[in-house]
Amino acid sequence: MALELFILGLNHQTAPVEVRERLAFAEAEVVPALSQLKQGAPSIAEAALLSTCNRVELVAVSTESARAAEELRGFLALERRVEADAFESALYHLEGREAVRHLFRVGASLDSMVLGEPQILGQLKIAYAQAVRAGTLGMILHRTFHRAFSVAKRVRKGTLIGHGAVSVSSAAVSLAREIFDDLKDKTVMLLGAGQMAELTARQLVKLGVQSLLIVNRTFERAAALARELGGTAVTFENYKPYLKIADVLIGSVATARPLLGPEDIEPILRERRYRPMFLIDLGVPRNFHERLSTLENVYLYDIDDLGTAVTNSRAEREREAEKAEVFVAEEVEGFWRWLDGLELVPTIKDIRSNMDRLREIEFGRHRAWLATLQPDERGHIESLTRGISNKILHQVTTELRRANGFVDGVYAAEIARRLLGSDLPVEEAEPGDSGDFFDHDLDSGMPVTRGGRR
Amino acid sequence: MSTLWLAPALVLYVLAVFLFIADMVARQTRLNRYALMALGAGAISHTMDLVTRGLQAGNIPVGNFAQSLSFLAWIIALASLVLIVRFKMPAIGAFTAPAVVVALGAAYVLMPSEAHKLPSTLRSAWLPIHVTLAFFGEALFVLAASVSLVYLVHESRLKAKRSLGMIGGKLPSLEKLDRINYRLLGCGFVLLSLAMVTGAIWAANAWGRFWSWEPIECWTLVTWLLYAGLLESRLAAGWRGRRAATLTIAVFTVLVGSYLGVSLVYPGKHGGSFG
Repeated sequence: MALELFILGLNHQTAPVEVRERLAFAEAEVVPALSQLKQGAPSIAEAALLSTCNRVELVAVSTESARAAEELRGFLALERRVEADAFESALYHLEGREAVRHLFRVGASLDSMVLGEPQILGQLKIAYAQAVRAGTLGMILHRTFHRAFSVAKRVRKGTLIGHGAVSVSSAAVSLAREIFDDLKDKTVMLLGAGQMAELTARQLVKLGVQSLLIVNRTFERAAALARELGGTAVTFENYKPYLKIADVLIGSVATARPLLGPEDIEPILRERRYRPMFLIDLGVPRNFHERLSTLENVYLYDIDDLGTAVTNSRAEREREAEKAEVFVAEEVEGFWRWLDGLELVPTIKDIRSNMDRLREIEFGRHRAWLATLQPDERGHIESLTRGISNKILHQVTTELRRANGFVDGVYAAEIARRLLGSDLPVEEAEPGDSGDFFDHDLDSGMPVTRGGRR
Repeated sequence: MSTLWLAPALVLYVLAVFLFIADMVARQTRLNRYALMALGAGAISHTMDLVTRGLQAGNIPVGNFAQSLSFLAWIIALASLVLIVRFKMPAIGAFTAPAVVVALGAAYVLMPSEAHKLPSTLRSAWLPIHVTLAFFGEALFVLAASVSLVYLVHESRLKAKRSLGMIGGKLPSLEKLDRINYRLLGCGFVLLSLAMVTGAIWAANAWGRFWSWEPIECWTLVTWLLYAGLLESRLAAGWRGRRAATLTIAVFTVLVGSYLGVSLVYPGKHGGSFG
């Protein structure tokens, strides 16, 4: 095939953050950069740019992928004002099937730093929308992106890759939601304003917690954080009377021995009328005595409990990723069949056999009448109809051969096949799987193959 | 007497049980929708059975022990449908649907082949009112016990720090379970009280006495007092959570024991139908 799909990029595995940050594009820069690329790199037929904190990837279609890759390297160096040597070694250049596979894996969050994290799909959709706006997408990338979206959806639905907490703070938050129904009317108390405690508190506030008490040895730090998160700062000497209103207690104080034990909490529980208390101990040495967990309606989790949960769900995600890889492999094959089918020779073959088929159908319909004719009359009719179909075929073939080797060739072949061909070996598309984001037709005037002939 | 509707109802309920349990055990399924459908379809078939019997008997079909069990199963099924849909917690189904199956299964086995005619002294407008109130109250107690069981399962997982597994995510939060348990107990208690009042009025009409110290009446009084105590412990002492759940199940065990004991051993004037 004359047209090659390829990816030139780097990610968190190949490039350190110092390199990634120099090559990253801000959201507003992508469309102008792509427009620039369209003018400056004639060998590139289609292009899209995905730039996140973990990756910069150029997805492109070209007739001469080696030259195009060179142009893209130059483009990156020029656009970002970075000498090419600085990032050359971190770049990967994937072609054809490998490129498709890579894009599908990225969309399905199989290539992410945190496996299964959900943001990447949104970022990929934005990259697609930006390329649409810049007018740099054609038939092939349109379809590739839509396919990548539906692969991501399939992986998310069909596996548990997005399940389970992958950080200590999110594990703590998901436990809080198993204990409490509504967090809005709950009070969270931070005993010590350590970083992890702060992260957990932030997430809880995001989920609707309105009452937040912050206790810290350095009162200024408590006050600053309270201002930021909309809580109340309490001095360290003075926090005990507030314990009875605390539903979630997060401890991260540096202390030699536990700050709170059963003798502190038991009377409080009675005052609270046994409303549940969730104690999250992020401190080492531990802040809460482990015997607290024997108290009724008290749930105590220390840093190791939460850490184990995180390790487990990471392992779980890795197991699920194996399932996802199988889906991706299937989808790549399906997509590849379509892309492969865009080639010239199979297209001409297909159109020819379709013409023959149509002729046969017509002959079949008139079989009774044809039987009444003389053999030589039948022969005449036969050659007359073949003549017509050959003339059409010849014109189509000549035109396609002429266009072959040019960027337009493959598109012309696809259009010809769609107008005159028979059934395509297109991968079976689920109904509605491609229309869930944008449904643009091509700005470049190229037809979208989505749902083409089903 | 038999109708064509009872067996399909039982089969559908059994199917619902399997689907509910499979949904809870399997980690990523949408079986709960089908479980709910099976439960609903079972309830419809069951309703047809009760309507047919009701028309034959000319009154609410609780003439004998088997029929009253069937009626109870029906109310549990309806109430758990409401509970599941209203509070969006299919996990409850795995605990309530088996109760439906047990009750209806027993009813199916014990169902006598001849219709039981109520003696004319007992035929009265008070019958359906009294019976419906009593059975609704009991159904709510069944559900309260089921919800308490869910609470205990979930709570012990959280205590043992095993909750970050997958079942955890499918169970409702402890707070929600506790609140629902309380509401079910409250409503059940009100219905049981009303059932006792209407029963007394009916008894006064039929026998000229409000209260005749029948075994069933005594045991109902005992369970009524126990439920009153259960509610009181929450309101006054703030007993909730694990303690409340355990007590709910304990009191329910007394209720079931008295129901079976009285119905099978000392039928009395209630004729084997607890109500």
